[in-house]
Amino acid sequence: MLALRTEGLTKEYSIGFWRKRPYVALDHLTMEVEQGEVFGFLGPNGAGKTTTLKLLMQLIYPTSGGAWILGKPAGDLGVKCRIGYLPEHPYFYDYLTAEELLTYFASLFGIQGGARRARVAAVLDEVGIGAERRMQLRQYSKGMVQRVGIAQAILNEPELVFFDEPMSGLDPLGRREMRHLMLRLRDRGCTVFFSSHILADAEALCSRVAILAGGKKVADGKLTDILAFELRGWELVVANVTPAWLGRLKERATGVVELAPGRFTLELPPVSPEPTIAALTEAGATIVSLNPIRDTLEDFFVRHVASAPRRHSEV
Amino acid sequence: MGQIWNIARGVFKESVRDRVPYSLVLFAVLLMAASYLISQLTAGQDLKIIKDLGLASISVIGLLIAIFIGIGLVSKEVERRSIYSLLSKPISRTAFILGKFAGLVMTLVVNVGAMTVAFYAVLAYMNWMAEPALRAAWEAPAMDVRLTIPIALSLAQLTMVTAIALFFSTFSSPLLSALFTLGVWTAGHFNADLRNFENVLDSPVAVYVARTLYYLLPNFAPFDVKAQVVHGEGVSAAHVVLMLAYAAVYVGALLSAAVAIFRRRDFK
Amino acid sequence: MSVPALRARPGISAAVGLAAALLMVSVAIELTRERVVSEPPAVLPTLWMRSPAVMDRLALEFDAVASDVYWIRAVVYYGGVRRSEDPLKNYDLLHPLLDLTTSLDPRFLLAYRMGAIFLSEAYPGGAGRPDLAIALLEKGVRLNPNRWELLHDIGFVYFWTYRDYVKAAEWLDRAARVPGSPQWIKPVMAGMLARGGERSTARLLWTEMLRSDERGMQDIARIRLEQLDAMDQIDAIHSLIARVTLATGVRPASWRDLIAHGWIRGVPHDPSGTEYVLDPFTGRVTVSQESGIFPMPDQLEAAR
Repeated sequence: MLALRTEGLTKEYSIGFWRKRPYVALDHLTMEVEQGEVFGFLGPNGAGKTTTLKLLMQLIYPTSGGAWILGKPAGDLGVKCRIGYLPEHPYFYDYLTAEELLTYFASLFGIQGGARRARVAAVLDEVGIGAERRMQLRQYSKGMVQRVGIAQAILNEPELVFFDEPMSGLDPLGRREMRHLMLRLRDRGCTVFFSSHILADAEALCSRVAILAGGKKVADGKLTDILAFELRGWELVVANVTPAWLGRLKERATGVVELAPGRFTLELPPVSPEPTIAALTEAGATIVSLNPIRDTLEDFFVRHVASAPRRHSEV
Repeated sequence: MGQIWNIARGVFKESVRDRVPYSLVLFAVLLMAASYLISQLTAGQDLKIIKDLGLASISVIGLLIAIFIGIGLVSKEVERRSIYSLLSKPISRTAFILGKFAGLVMTLVVNVGAMTVAFYAVLAYMNWMAEPALRAAWEAPAMDVRLTIPIALSLAQLTMVTAIALFFSTFSSPLLSALFTLGVWTAGHFNADLRNFENVLDSPVAVYVARTLYYLLPNFAPFDVKAQVVHGEGVSAAHVVLMLAYAAVYVGALLSAAVAIFRRRDFK
Repeated sequence: MSVPALRARPGISAAVGLAAALLMVSVAIELTRERVVSEPPAVLPTLWMRSPAVMDRLALEFDAVASDVYWIRAVVYYGGVRRSEDPLKNYDLLHPLLDLTTSLDPRFLLAYRMGAIFLSEAYPGGAGRPDLAIALLEKGVRLNPNRWELLHDIGFVYFWTYRDYVKAAEWLDRAARVPGSPQWIKPVMAGMLARGGERSTARLLWTEMLRSDERGMQDIARIRLEQLDAMDQIDAIHSLIARVTLATGVRPASWRDLIAHGWIRGVPHDPSGTEYVLDPFTGRVTVSQESGIFPMPDQLEAAR
């Protein structure tokens, strides 16, 4: 059974007051997410990622198409017991404490009494909220609110969890913790579906991704398949280069950056760098590091996404 | 359903933490205490004034609470987006609306109850301070149990106002909801005049329109039995039962409409 | 497979149907209550604001609108009390309502004029308080000294209700001295002094009122003129009955008697189209209670 499946999922809005022009927020999205994987749902802002998540949560209704979550149609109340959701820019009742909020949500899941207390405490520990859990949410920083959001998403030990921009509002330490959390969830058998416009996170976490732009899916599959393994070049860091060599370096390299006197970063074309290395070594330079430059997701984005037009449906 | 109870408890908890109902109820209690002092200034009519002021305070404060909280019941959650995480939980939109309504009614019952206790406390004090001769002259006893009837009817009226505020809250902002609710409340009080319009209007079409409006808009005037009870006259059981039934049915209609609207909304 | 792919947007018809049905039930309950429960004994509607000064402040810049609201309430109140079946009609709130209306908008001429008529008309058709009517009009005069209509109306109250023709003439004189007042006031005043209690004078005054700009005044004037005509007709019928009695020696006891003997062709109608009532015991003819011109003002003397 697939964790998530959509088929031709479409959402059109009518905007404008007099002549209602239809705005296609999501255009026939068809995708599949396997159980147990970390799936990245990527795209620039306004691509339709949040729209998709809201459709799956039945916060908005589709114009056409379908979606199945854990085999059941999206919106099924029983299924909602088995999933978690972290919205973008979460807001919770600021007059409650984190503990009270999670207790409230736990009661909505039907978790009662001692089990509820234990679960709430465990989840708060997991997201790293300590004594602050007894403070009212209105006193929390953005990062702490985000953690509470994550906490309420995993409160019911879901089989499938949806994170909308989970990294927003977190500092670098928080982001690292978040990444570790998502991997821990995967290790427990939970499917993690997250949307993001930050590609570095996806590269670090996901096995598979779908890329959305202008409401349309422009790519999906294994990350390694999407980003062709072709080399774009080499990055070579050398030290002890004599000024005489500088001119010659500039011939061979497509980019030269001076880091310190005699220390340079070179960008070499995607041919074998061995001749250049040999020549440098012979001249007395020290090779500090050599790294392949591959196609990044960002390059992919810039190539494919910037040019994707949004369909305007004809009335 | 258990979910309705969960939501209701949430609303009640919020109202307890909210400063506004507190201040209002405190104000009512102070007013009742003050009414005792006021009554000492007037000759004779002191008990009537205390009863009038007390019942009026309960009505007015209750109304303010109903409107204040009612208009934000749904729209606040939608505007602040807390509804996103809530509706992703296994709770139906219907249960959400009904739970919100139940919660506010609970809040009203508790607040009105508190004010009623304060009211009777002042009346008890009045009773204790008065001389037997004065007591005999009163039209109705100070600690008149029948005073609970106008309070109960007032509460029934408040549940109608709550339902109205909730209804508007499902599709408009708090400000607009407040205006609409006040508008309907005002119309509900002048409803009796609509009835009299047909004595004055000539055009049968206008009379028909006035009559239709009279019956469709809530009719609040018959809920007001304060004057009768203060003067010691009774209220027929039939009247009370019919008014309660009216309130219940009207509330049902409004809740159905609110659920209908809310279930279809896109939360952008 | 028949499992729906995703819950579609819920339909609205079921819930709206339920709402409409419940609304109808609530209407049914209201109707039941009105039938079953007798209205509580005359608990007067409360006028919370009686002080014009306070109301003025409360109304802020919406004085004119507030005054319109109070005017409507006054009219509806008057109409409601007048047409109610309660034998103990109570007009107590009429003056306060009119006082508030005119305090909020001191130039509200119609409120003064028609208010005075409502107040001065004999009970139970009106409040029966000509003193309050004059007080209201005098207030109007203080605030609008250049409106001859108000002075004229005061004179009218003295003429019509008090039958004090000297006082009436005094006020008409004051009205005539206001620049811009119509020419007919002086001659009418003179006639009043000469033949005060006569219908012809009244007819003159009401005919002039018919030409007023205010629709309300016109309506009242029309009814008054019909009443005057009715008085003439009643007098004519009375003299007919007297002749018949003299001629036959028996006083006719009903219209049928008169018709049977050919004295009249059919039952006489008053100017509003309703049949007159002939009291078999007293032989007096009166206007029917169902008539549009009921109740009739006190009989005025016919021209001598």
